[in-house]
Amino acid sequence: MGSGHWSTDVYTAAANYRAATGKSAFDYSDSGARHAHPDLDPNGVFMRESRDSSEHPFSTPIAVLFDVTGSMGNVPRVLQTKLPQLLGLLTRKNYAVDPQIMFGAIGDATCDRAPLQVGQFESDNRMDEHLSRIYLEGGGGGQKHESYELALYFMARHTIIDSMVNRGRRGYLFIIGDEMPYPRVKPREVQAVIGDTIKQPIPIEEILTELQRKYEVFYILPTAAGWGGDAEVLARWRGLLGQNVLELDDLDAVCETIALTVGLGEDAIDLDEGIADLEDLGSAAGSSVGRALAPLQRTSVVRDDQFQITAGPGGNQRL
Amino acid sequence: MKEHLAVVDLGYGDAGKGTIVDAICSTSSNIAAVIRFNGGAQAAHNVITEDGRHHTFAQFGSGTLRGVPTHLSRFMIVDPLALASEARSLGNPFHLLTVDADALLATPWHRAANRRREVERGAERHGSCGMGVGETQMYALKHPDAPRVADVLTPTRLTIKLRALADFYDMSDIPIDDVVDAFVAFGEAVRIVGTEHTDRLLAAGPCVFEGAQGVLLDEWRGWHPYTTWSTTTFDNIGELCPSFRRLGVVRTYTTRHGAGPFVTEAPDLDLPEAHNGRDDWQGAFRTGHFDAVAHRYAVEVAGGVDALAVTHLDAPARCPDLKICTAYRTEGEIWDRIEPGPHRDLAYQERLAGKLAKTEPATSHRPVDWKNAISELLGAPVEIESHGPRSSDKRIATLSK
Repeated sequence: MGSGHWSTDVYTAAANYRAATGKSAFDYSDSGARHAHPDLDPNGVFMRESRDSSEHPFSTPIAVLFDVTGSMGNVPRVLQTKLPQLLGLLTRKNYAVDPQIMFGAIGDATCDRAPLQVGQFESDNRMDEHLSRIYLEGGGGGQKHESYELALYFMARHTIIDSMVNRGRRGYLFIIGDEMPYPRVKPREVQAVIGDTIKQPIPIEEILTELQRKYEVFYILPTAAGWGGDAEVLARWRGLLGQNVLELDDLDAVCETIALTVGLGEDAIDLDEGIADLEDLGSAAGSSVGRALAPLQRTSVVRDDQFQITAGPGGNQRL
Repeated sequence: MKEHLAVVDLGYGDAGKGTIVDAICSTSSNIAAVIRFNGGAQAAHNVITEDGRHHTFAQFGSGTLRGVPTHLSRFMIVDPLALASEARSLGNPFHLLTVDADALLATPWHRAANRRREVERGAERHGSCGMGVGETQMYALKHPDAPRVADVLTPTRLTIKLRALADFYDMSDIPIDDVVDAFVAFGEAVRIVGTEHTDRLLAAGPCVFEGAQGVLLDEWRGWHPYTTWSTTTFDNIGELCPSFRRLGVVRTYTTRHGAGPFVTEAPDLDLPEAHNGRDDWQGAFRTGHFDAVAHRYAVEVAGGVDALAVTHLDAPARCPDLKICTAYRTEGEIWDRIEPGPHRDLAYQERLAGKLAKTEPATSHRPVDWKNAISELLGAPVEIESHGPRSSDKRIATLSK
């Protein structure tokens, strides 16, 4: 016999049926939205949390934030359809124990209505919902800069991850984009978008250092995007993140790229094993992923000491 | 695929019906619909596609990820609340769903009553899923006007029926208006159809009947009272469809979720379970050797099968201790056939359960070729083999018949 694990909450059910019969529940953007969905609005959020629980005792936080401005073209839509597979990929091959995934979107605080959208860390199919509610604004300033620094600020100061609190292990943050960050986190924008009062601008290097205490940060530049392969953009991010800048030539391979990066970081696989796993799973993404992850191949990526799970399998397998 | 196909689990459930239905739907392009004919939202059919997408199907048919429509027949217990969250995780594919107007509705009152009843049983739990499926069935037997899917189209009538439920169970803490609200919204989102819709689907193309639970849990044929309140054999399908192929699903080892006799149970077998764990209502997931005696009984009471799907064929290699049990011992008596009693004789089933509880495996062996061994023991050819969780791990022999 099975076990019904689908939520039976009467209010959520009603809301979902209404959303489904409304204009378009699957794609918040297409329903005519002009603002961040309330569930994804960072304003006034104290903390987004990735917590250990009896069901998921060794949570591995993984945040994926992607640029939704116009220069990204069709990329955000492709990501919206591809990313739901990420959890499956991570759990099928045990690349990470109890992964908890958060999705978010980055815009331009100088001119956009929704310069930052952040979901919650989820360990089940609920994350799909956050993804479908991301508002694809398609704006941006057209000057090769977006407000990535604002996203870094939020992740540094408004997330709490038990993997760090309980076990001293960093989470993973992936930023998918094609432009450069502004050089400083600006107090006015932080106030307007997140609601915090900070006294003076924070240089991006400084907020990044703060963030990297909690997360291993990766920047993925899809070459299909507007500034894909742009030397200035690449140089800027390489200066900030070093080898953790990944160029991706096939957007369809985005989940595989993220999954393997995490697998490498968790010491679950080496690159060859990961690519063999992809073949095994029937994925055609192997060669693109291999090229994207080549920079990570030579050195140990994230962890220095291997983490042993002794208390049985992770709860995520019960999905 | 040409003929209608019925997919029924010959064990205690969890043999992999969902993954088999998904594999069939991924290889046959002409399937008109997956039709659910028993149980309700307590089903948990795990499907993992080639690209790693995972969904646990409860009410939607396991062909949904392949774009195959689902029809919930009049034998289903429809749970609109659980359906909402399942639908949402699939991207709300309501265009793929039809629901028979005559199907019973599972409500929060049924669920609460189910849980109350199980808690009162204390150590004597039946292994219920806590979803109120049996309770819905029981209430409907006593109350001809039990809430049915068609009622959600008439809010006043629905309210009256739900109020009667609340009075019957003496539960006043569940907000009736909110439930009415959600159920009415359900009625606006799904397509509610008459019973003739099943015939339309059957005429439109081959249909796959997806069973829930397993024959050994059947309300009349299982080890009473450790059964599900649902007909898990081919009987319901026979009432919906004149002719179909019978596919029995078994795994290379036997499992049972919840309480009840389990002769070949062997907790030491090293067979970790990916998608089934302990849960509050059913208790531990139990594992044991392949019980050929019980499975042969299942084939017999189900009226025979045309073919088998054998899942977890990769398990024996990983578990060198795994065996097939072909005979039982009860207080010195050796026996290898569970004799079916008269149909619907629960006293007989209860005596059987009592006997099985005192029974242990007598004869076991480890075959070289598991597929053929199971095929011979159950007297049917193996048409689908499964060597792993994904649809690409399946080998389908001759569905084109």
